[in-house]
Amino acid sequence: MTNNMSGISVFLADKGIYFLTAFLLVLGIYGMITCKNYMKKLICMNIMQVAVIFFFLCFGQKNGGTIPVQVTGLMGARHYINPLPHGLMLTAIVVSLGTTGVGLALLTRIKEKYGSIEEDDIIKGENKF
Amino acid sequence: MHSLILEAVLLMALIAITLVVIFDKDLLAAVVTYCAFSFITMFLYIVMGAPDVAFTEAVIGVISTIYFVISLRNIDRRCK
Amino acid sequence: MAKKIKNAIPVVIIAIVLAAAFARFDFLPSIGDPDAPAHTRTSDYYIEHAVKDTNSPNYVTAVIVDYRAFDTMLETTVMFLAGLGVVILLASRPDPKARIIKPRKFTENREHLGAPAYQSINKDVMIKIIEPLILIYAVYVLFHGEVSLGGGFQAGALIGMVYIIDTMVSPGTISLIRLPKERSVALAGAGTFIYTLTGILTLVGGGVFLEYGKLPFSMSFEEKHSTGILMVEVGVTIGVMATIITILNAIHERARFDDDK
Repeated sequence: MTNNMSGISVFLADKGIYFLTAFLLVLGIYGMITCKNYMKKLICMNIMQVAVIFFFLCFGQKNGGTIPVQVTGLMGARHYINPLPHGLMLTAIVVSLGTTGVGLALLTRIKEKYGSIEEDDIIKGENKF
Repeated sequence: MHSLILEAVLLMALIAITLVVIFDKDLLAAVVTYCAFSFITMFLYIVMGAPDVAFTEAVIGVISTIYFVISLRNIDRRCK
Repeated sequence: MAKKIKNAIPVVIIAIVLAAAFARFDFLPSIGDPDAPAHTRTSDYYIEHAVKDTNSPNYVTAVIVDYRAFDTMLETTVMFLAGLGVVILLASRPDPKARIIKPRKFTENREHLGAPAYQSINKDVMIKIIEPLILIYAVYVLFHGEVSLGGGFQAGALIGMVYIIDTMVSPGTISLIRLPKERSVALAGAGTFIYTLTGILTLVGGGVFLEYGKLPFSMSFEEKHSTGILMVEVGVTIGVMATIITILNAIHERARFDDDK
């Protein structure tokens, strides 16, 4: 049993977590392509962003490191995990809030002009295809 | 500090929630499920050892869900 | 049949992309390796010299507000521009014919519109107890951003959430502070201005832009860094709070709640 668990851990440490992250990202892209409703496309955009942030945070891990706040006994860079991806991801999360707000403002204007937010009705309203 | 099996379980829960969001016909249900998605990613960030990012995600996930629910008032709740 | 083929094209493309992504994962480092290329350049310097240079035990705050303060200034500008974009998009009066209004069937049964449907806790009283606690916590998170977890973003979002609770929960009452969307976007600009003002003060003191050691105050070196970080985080807080209030007011003005009068 322990042999099986360590085998699974070795697999997850090497490539398994990257598989799941890529699968979440690709699922978000599939949702953005396939869903005909514009609000679902916005929600899938936020789902894709979570996959990218998790991928960045994976790079900052160190075996046996603690969170990046200084503890008064522990010195040396080996004992703390990398604080640089955390800073970048803070900015990314806050900017995604602004992006969602602008997207919803656009959605409200589209609804007022065309009467619905389904893709087929808007294409018929535009009469271009 | 970070355990890989716990991360794998949480990621699989996230993938299951994404499938619910894509294939549901009721927009209000999709938005509330997005709130649950945001909640589980907060746990994921804590397990990864990033409590600053988790704190920010918790607050901004709630605000983002509120924006979606308010703008759903103007918009038809059904989805084809 | 043609519709089935058209529906299957995204799935085929996604399958091809997935296979291509899974095939070449050899170049990615294994998780937890302390000799990975992400750890060997500047982040070791940041961890070892953060307390000496910036007087803040939280390494994440030291990185985003002191070592890389320019990025955070541009991020605050982006938040302000997002609020500005929302105000410009929704500045016109909505056409009353264009809104889809669905009459609710159960509206006629409720005598006093706005009265709660069940005998439950009075919402107004509970809000007035919860809001000051959230505000105190937000100020605590702002001031202790460099000692423990926290910072400017979280504090600004918490204060914005207090405003959302105040205006949204009971729609009949008039709240104490009314901020239409034009004024709150001006407040977001003021937040960005406070950030840039700190940079200009360091230029006046004779240093590089945003080098807190050369602020023209009469304090010791560590206190100057702490004061510079505090001023900058106040700017970020005001910017984030005002953008959240702006987007809420802009979307909320156009929604008509059919079960209130």
